[in-house]
Amino acid sequence: MFQYYFMLGVRSLRRNPALTALMVLILAVGVAASVSTLTILHVMSGDPYPDKSERMIVPMVDNGPIEGYTPGDERNDNQASYRDAVNFLNSKQGDRRTALYGVAGSVEPERSDIGVFTAEGLAPTRDFFDIFEVPFMYGQAWSASEDKDATDVIVLSRKLSEKLYGSENPVGKRIKLMNNSYLITGVINNWRPVPRVHRIIGGPGAFGDEDEFFIPFSSAIRHETQHNGSMNCTSYRDPGWQSLLDSECTWIQVWFELHSASARGDFQNWLDAYSAEQRKLGRLKRNAPNVQFNLMEWLEHLKVVGKDSRISAWLAFGFLVLCLVNTIGLLLAKFSVRAPEIGVRRALGASRKEIFTQFLIESAVVGLVGGVLGLLLALASLTLIGKSSEQLAIVTHMDWLMLGVTFVMSVSAAILAGLLPTWRACQVTPAMQLKSQ
Amino acid sequence: MLRMQNLSKVYRTHMIETHALRGFEIEVKQGEFVTVTGPSGSGKTSFLNIAGLLEDFTSGEYILDGVNVKGLDDNARSRLRNEKLGFIFQGFNLIPDLSLYDNVDVPLRYRGFNAAERKERITEALTKVGLASRMKHFPAELSGGQQQRVAIARALAGSPKLLLADEPTGNLDTQMARGVMELLEEINAEGTTILMVTHDPELAQRSQRNVHIIDGQVSDLVRKSPTLVAKEA
Repeated sequence: MFQYYFMLGVRSLRRNPALTALMVLILAVGVAASVSTLTILHVMSGDPYPDKSERMIVPMVDNGPIEGYTPGDERNDNQASYRDAVNFLNSKQGDRRTALYGVAGSVEPERSDIGVFTAEGLAPTRDFFDIFEVPFMYGQAWSASEDKDATDVIVLSRKLSEKLYGSENPVGKRIKLMNNSYLITGVINNWRPVPRVHRIIGGPGAFGDEDEFFIPFSSAIRHETQHNGSMNCTSYRDPGWQSLLDSECTWIQVWFELHSASARGDFQNWLDAYSAEQRKLGRLKRNAPNVQFNLMEWLEHLKVVGKDSRISAWLAFGFLVLCLVNTIGLLLAKFSVRAPEIGVRRALGASRKEIFTQFLIESAVVGLVGGVLGLLLALASLTLIGKSSEQLAIVTHMDWLMLGVTFVMSVSAAILAGLLPTWRACQVTPAMQLKSQ
Repeated sequence: MLRMQNLSKVYRTHMIETHALRGFEIEVKQGEFVTVTGPSGSGKTSFLNIAGLLEDFTSGEYILDGVNVKGLDDNARSRLRNEKLGFIFQGFNLIPDLSLYDNVDVPLRYRGFNAAERKERITEALTKVGLASRMKHFPAELSGGQQQRVAIARALAGSPKLLLADEPTGNLDTQMARGVMELLEEINAEGTTILMVTHDPELAQRSQRNVHIIDGQVSDLVRKSPTLVAKEA
């Protein structure tokens, strides 16, 4: 019977075409508004490493000053000091670990047709490329020994490589950057994880531009490369690079890749032991709880999905509810003129349940058509939003999941709107309708 | 085929009670052609609606083809209506945006017949009423008499045991009415029981038995037609 009712639903679209078009349009606009905001929310809160995000860990110890601190207060910062970062790197905890901070400096191209320009990059350890599954176009990351020896090596982004060398493979060449000469070991391919979890703090942000180059953390430290990002210092420190390294200023992010999510317990024990050991050395005086975030917890903690985005989504849903109320009214009008037909069908053997099913499927057909139109409107609005800024363009891509959500939402909304009119249709007294015709 | 005993139907509002049927008694045998007459408001339509399971009754007993219908739920009543009854209305009551084929198809869909059987029954029913060549047409393209023939085809397609007709010729001119009546007589001759409400004394005369209703009760004017008397003899 589903096929029969579906066919009747399609035919009923032709009946009162103006009313049907209005219903479809109202539903489509409501669905498009909801799906557009939901798509942005979905992409923003997506997991770029679903296979391993549970074991990608950011550790956090609170090295803030004891003065003015009350147990339970917020942590000092979400980054680590150089001392903690180096200790974390030397801990041998997890399968892989990296410390990283943003850097920027002038590039002096060999080509005479390109002038000196500033590029933004990152100073991580080699494990960074494995932890974050960075794809390479040419060459590879630098080696562990180059990390250890603080060698001047560099990995370029594809964009920077093409800017400097065109389509040529530049691996093995040297590039002059920040007054130093770096040996190119690799060029990464286009790499746009969304959100860019490793760059949420400071720099171009979770949805910003990609880094143009990568140099070893140890090399950057050796060259006293100033950080390009956010730094939090809660007490006075002497000027100079060494003083920064010895201070409790926080400016470095650290990531661990654990062997499994279940290893978090052992990792916590180690973190607590490390914290206790540092307190013995006169640090971490707050004795605050040591915490670790996995990737999704980290996104939640840093509120990557802003309040504005959530409010927009709620407002869009509110609008959808308004559209639903309108659709209920229109469906009531559409179904009320069908009372004689309902009377005939009841007389010919349709039970109330069958009338209910028929009219609910008719509502669903309206929802299906509304879904198609809603999808087109949503794609158009996402394109428009994406064109307004490069950052928004990254989060305005509809995937298969959201495509499915569009239809489920539209059909569910239509069925929901159809419940009252359908129930009213079932209450038609056949005897009265048959006599009154 | 149909038996009602001491049946009553009361319509209640918060102000008044209206007794549409009271102490109503009737028995219709398999194969009979019974007409029901009576003045307006006498309870003819209430009787027909109750007989057709379109309305519930207040008290009494109603046995339809051996099934006591009292207390049956909506699903059971609908199934019984679909399997045992056919309806013909004064206003034809065809669904305007369905073709003749699809109109006749409606009761068969609810019966759950497969496509091949439905097609066979629809073709047979429309052939019987002389409209097989127009099965793709829509009701608005037909005359009143033709529309009523389609309604008859729809009622017959499911092979009902009892055909309930409410003033089936009321909206037709004399010639068309005669044609429809002849068709009903032919159907009855093939074994289908017919219960027809009419205002037309001439039509009432043509049936085997006429039941006259006054004030919600079968009056003493129940009369067997000469045809039935002859048959019984």
